[in-house]
Amino acid sequence: MARHEVESEVTGNVWKVLMTPGAAVSEGDVIMILESMKMEIPVESPSDGTLAEVCVAEEQQVEEDQLLAVVEA
Amino acid sequence: MSWEAEIKELERRRYLAKQQGGSEGIAKQHAKGRLTIRERIDALLDPDSFREHGRATASPVYDDNDELVEYAPANYVVGFGKIDERRVVVGGEDFTLKGGSPNAAGLRKSVYAEHLAVQYRVPLVRMLEGGGGSVKGSAKKGGTVGEPVFTEPRFKIIADAMSEVPVISGAMGAVAGFPAGRLVASHFSVMTRHTAQILIGGPALVERALGVKMSKDELGGAQVHASSGIVDNLAEDEYDAFAQIRRYLSYLPSSVYERTPRYDSDDPVERMEQALLDIVPRESNTPFDMRAIVNMVMDTGSFFEIGATYGPSQICGLARLNGQPVGVLANDCRFYAGAMTAEAAQKYRRFVETCDTFHLPIVNFVDQPGFMIGPESEQAGTIRYGMAAVAAAAQATVPWAVIQVHKGFGVATAAHYAPGAYVLAWPSVESGALPLEGGVAVAFHREIAAAENPEAKRKEYEDRLREGRSPFPRAESFAVHELIDPRETRPLLCEWVDWIQPQLDTLVGPVRFGMRP
Repeated sequence: MARHEVESEVTGNVWKVLMTPGAAVSEGDVIMILESMKMEIPVESPSDGTLAEVCVAEEQQVEEDQLLAVVEA
Repeated sequence: MSWEAEIKELERRRYLAKQQGGSEGIAKQHAKGRLTIRERIDALLDPDSFREHGRATASPVYDDNDELVEYAPANYVVGFGKIDERRVVVGGEDFTLKGGSPNAAGLRKSVYAEHLAVQYRVPLVRMLEGGGGSVKGSAKKGGTVGEPVFTEPRFKIIADAMSEVPVISGAMGAVAGFPAGRLVASHFSVMTRHTAQILIGGPALVERALGVKMSKDELGGAQVHASSGIVDNLAEDEYDAFAQIRRYLSYLPSSVYERTPRYDSDDPVERMEQALLDIVPRESNTPFDMRAIVNMVMDTGSFFEIGATYGPSQICGLARLNGQPVGVLANDCRFYAGAMTAEAAQKYRRFVETCDTFHLPIVNFVDQPGFMIGPESEQAGTIRYGMAAVAAAAQATVPWAVIQVHKGFGVATAAHYAPGAYVLAWPSVESGALPLEGGVAVAFHREIAAAENPEAKRKEYEDRLREGRSPFPRAESFAVHELIDPRETRPLLCEWVDWIQPQLDTLVGPVRFGMRP
């Protein structure tokens, strides 16, 4: 089973978490939305599989390269 | 008596000089998944086009009877060749000999490469793999040391070349010391993802000086340099690197003294893409795909991006408009809303200087919210690098077109305009000193703080200002040339390309200074 770590490309806040661990995901599904520089940045699943972990909570601050979620394929 | 004996001996020596590090050295190179310098040159160039300079260069060793017993080839190979039928200079270290660390004739030939390209006014392609100087051999007592004091600095020609001819470097293996310096002194550089490292000093030096144990890859592998700005592009393997080098050169003239070749395009100039009408969302905090816009406007398939993973809020690349090569600049709002970070600004400045050096027109798709703000950005010295980008644009001499796609806020926006720019605006344009949201918080902070419900008051101001925002006044005031239907962008830019042809004819020639690394 391949483990895909989804990292933040930007510094910002977690605005909305749209999925809960255990959910089935397809590549490109939006797992959460970050807010950075007043832009809403969708965080997409890198592959088909299962959302294994969500590592952040809404309104939490995140930094570049911070782990946001894990998808198992 | 003819000279047949000497000719035979010369042929033998030329043969020996081509043996590189011998079959063992070559096998070792292949085992590491890497080509030899001669294989690289053959794979890069048009077939049978290599014309080597210094075919018999070597360090010969004779025995007491004056018989040749050893013939170590110069470990730098250089000469002319052709890429898409246009002449170039190509050179590179032979890693199978002394790990590419220069031997006597090898050093001379490596310095010669820049001179050759500048003298004959053709691009220089370096295939780098080597470790620079070595302390071995510098411990000889007696004799002369160093270069004569009146010798021109060896690095002058490296800097001069960058204002005269396109310089391209590929890192094909470990590139350290002087060769790493050469790599960044290039208009375009590429490294192989799995087999190259770029280092100022390798693991042994680092451990001795700092007590830190790190591998070559940890210090200077692709994962470091994809975001360090040291290299522009990554390549999957050496053949991908050669393909990228060939492609890059197709957009550039052979030197500042020539026009860029303009190829026939079969992409209609009148092509209007329906998708451009709604690609920018009405909600200004929803990101959109700027690369899709660039690809729809430029000749189909012609966009070649440079440095995508460094300073990603700024997109830089080369493309064609009705066959005319152009430099493309565009903001990617998915990274910090497209803001100018310190990295983006450095990438921008180097790219504008490169286009200016080679008289490439620039097309600039603007969605600029301003310089990046926040503690990291202040610490990174962003505004200094940002103003260097602004200065490069303000003094640019090439034809320049601006498409105001969306935002244009703050001082950073000045970096998107050069003198004489042709300015087109889309209806989605927004501009000012500050973006509306932040601007309201600053300008009306007293009113907002005094309100019963500050949050509602802030929103009220924002909504009121947003309603008053209209794209029409800038067209009415001749603050832009035209307010346009986004679908007209390609036809209008192709027409502009016709207008600038006389200017491009007269711009050829030397530049005040070229791109500085």
